[in-house]
Amino acid sequence: MKILVTVKRVPDPESSIKVNPEGTGIVESGLKWVVNPFDEIAIEEALRIKEAQGDVEVVVVSVGVSESQEQLRTGLAMGADRAILVKADRPDTAAVAKILVKLVEKEQPTLVILGKQAIDDDSNEVGQMLAHLLGWPQATFISKLTFAGDKASVECIREVDGGMETIAFALPAIITADLRLNEPRYASLPGIMKARKKPMEEIDAASLGVDLTPRVRIKKMAPPPARTAGRKVESVDELINALQTEAKVM
Amino acid sequence: MIQWSEQHLMMRDAVRRFIQDEIVPQIDEFEHGDTPPYAVLRKMFRSFGIDEMARERFHKQIDAEKRAAAGEAAATTGETRKAGGTAAADAMAMQMIPVIELCHYCPGMVTAMGVSVGLTSAAILSKGTTAQKERWALDLLTLEKVGAWAITEPGSGSDPFGAMKSTARRDGDGYILNGNKTFITNGPYADTIVFICRLDEGNPPAERKVLTFVLERGMPGFEQTRPVRKMGMHSSPTGDLFLSDVRVGKEHLLGETEAVTSRAGTKDTFSSERTGVAAMALGIVEQCLQVCVEYARTRVAFGRSIGEFQLIQLKLAKMEVARMNIQNLVFRQIELAAAGAKPTFAEASAVKLYSAQAAMDVCLEAVQLHGGNGYMAEYRVEQLCRDAKVLQIYGGTDEIQISQIARNLLAK
Ligand SMILES: Cc1cc2nc3c(=O)[nH]c(=O)nc-3n(C[C@H](O)[C@H](O)[C@H](O)COP(=O)(O)OP(=O)(O)OC[C@H]3O[C@@H](n4cnc5c(N)ncnc54)[C@H](O)[C@@H]3O)c2cc1C
Repeated sequence: MKILVTVKRVPDPESSIKVNPEGTGIVESGLKWVVNPFDEIAIEEALRIKEAQGDVEVVVVSVGVSESQEQLRTGLAMGADRAILVKADRPDTAAVAKILVKLVEKEQPTLVILGKQAIDDDSNEVGQMLAHLLGWPQATFISKLTFAGDKASVECIREVDGGMETIAFALPAIITADLRLNEPRYASLPGIMKARKKPMEEIDAASLGVDLTPRVRIKKMAPPPARTAGRKVESVDELINALQTEAKVM
Repeated sequence: MIQWSEQHLMMRDAVRRFIQDEIVPQIDEFEHGDTPPYAVLRKMFRSFGIDEMARERFHKQIDAEKRAAAGEAAATTGETRKAGGTAAADAMAMQMIPVIELCHYCPGMVTAMGVSVGLTSAAILSKGTTAQKERWALDLLTLEKVGAWAITEPGSGSDPFGAMKSTARRDGDGYILNGNKTFITNGPYADTIVFICRLDEGNPPAERKVLTFVLERGMPGFEQTRPVRKMGMHSSPTGDLFLSDVRVGKEHLLGETEAVTSRAGTKDTFSSERTGVAAMALGIVEQCLQVCVEYARTRVAFGRSIGEFQLIQLKLAKMEVARMNIQNLVFRQIELAAAGAKPTFAEASAVKLYSAQAAMDVCLEAVQLHGGNGYMAEYRVEQLCRDAKVLQIYGGTDEIQISQIARNLLAK
């Protein structure tokens, strides 16, 4: 079996993000970049399947700038077998999904695991778009994945508003990982040393013959308004009044 | 080497995350409670495959030794004896990175880990027979067992051999051991203890041979005290050892021969311990600098941030200079490993002297920069300051490093 796992290069959630003066994006210089945390969970899940089933190849894929190699190598260091980098300049979610379709056609995986969303743009779209374009079954926000005995289908528990939903479907399929699916391992020392020797293929997005024209345009980016200081109220009446007229929460 | 490589940074980030997840939330337990560091260190070894790598390296070495003993020496020397190279440099770097990162929070853990995985196993690996290495060293390298290395006695520290009172007396085909050891890192919890003493043949103490034995927890007549209270390094348990008529067989004598020259081996042990102090000092200084820059930016006095005062700027600038210097010393150790070389004893002493003093200076200034907060446990520089002091004492005091550097210069 082959599992394709997506890996996006995103700013470290610990770092402080500043919007650039032109309001066109964030200040990228000096930022530390990491693997999208939900993608780490996706990698971990693929590795656990590999450990449980044996004959599984885990391929990590990133669409983005050349430096995304670093994040792919983290995936290799965790234990993935090989990596593919599709070089593209700021593709939007539809472009990423179309590029992934091409890779799926080429690689013929049984399962594609994505993070439920990337923590930079929080779009939460690529998995769903990919499933639609391929016409494959999908389970998003999953917190548990179980293979059927014949390994031809899976059962997933999804975290949905108001509870858990269990769905089962035949493979091949698309799943997107939620926070509680697993706890990703650390890249180990032998893993880091071996990662250097694992294959990393580079593909130019332009060579795939997909329409990369952005459908989404960022018109303006601005930081959220700074929180104003709180104040003390004299009475319960004043508090209720403030909640109704100023905070508008009652 | 001028900077960490991508692999090194990957290791650093992973270790950093481990520390944030596993150590920082419980730091008061480790630093002010009675929780020994071994369980979390073992978890770190397992999470990063450090134990697995140690096991692999160990088996390779033992196999080569056995083949050599069986007369295949000529065949193996050519292929396996390639010292240095990027592999050696990476091994050195990957060993230092967890040390640096742990020292941001718990230098004591590095002391406990270093004594067990470094000092104690190194002593056995450098002087033991193949059987002794298999019996004791592997479990220390993987941290499966805790090791201690005991030379210091109540009456002898800086001059350990001069006034050493611990003795071994021959008894049939074994020995009877007696003596007290003090300030022994991991002493309270150690499973495997390297014990250095003199062979009492009825001759004057100064003429007695130095022998090294391996003791095991629970041997009749062998007592390990509870941890003693001390100024810092609280995440490293320290205790005393008492031996009264401990009977051991010859297989506990390292090398299984009285002809082994223990003093030369000990010098090697000191050397690697001393260069290890540079990595510890780097971690402590990096952390002080980071919290001080943040504090200088945000703490306001006289209507502006204290970072605008030149006297505060001087402190920060000096910390940065120390950080650069120590980092360069660390990089040099990695470069030496790449060249298949080792620092001389005098160089190792100089590295330790400078790093320890610089770390202490930086810590004291870090406390000062934080004002009253600096004196409070909540602000962590208080702990690092107490921890750093011991770098100038153990592994040979500053004064001893100075005299060894000078002696080497004057002998030229
Ligand atoms: C936390 C901690 C952990 C330790 N862990 C271990 C361990 O695991 N195993 C172990 O065997 N030991 C351990 N030690 C012991 C340590 O190595 C000794 O404390 C150290 O070598 C100093 O010896 P001393 O305490 O006897 O001091 P002394 O030798 O009594 O020195 C007292 C003072 O005299 C100075 N002095 C001594 N000789 C000279 C000289 N020739 N010229 C100038 N000044 C001199 C010293 O620098 C010092 O300032 C540990 C110590 C500490 C504090």
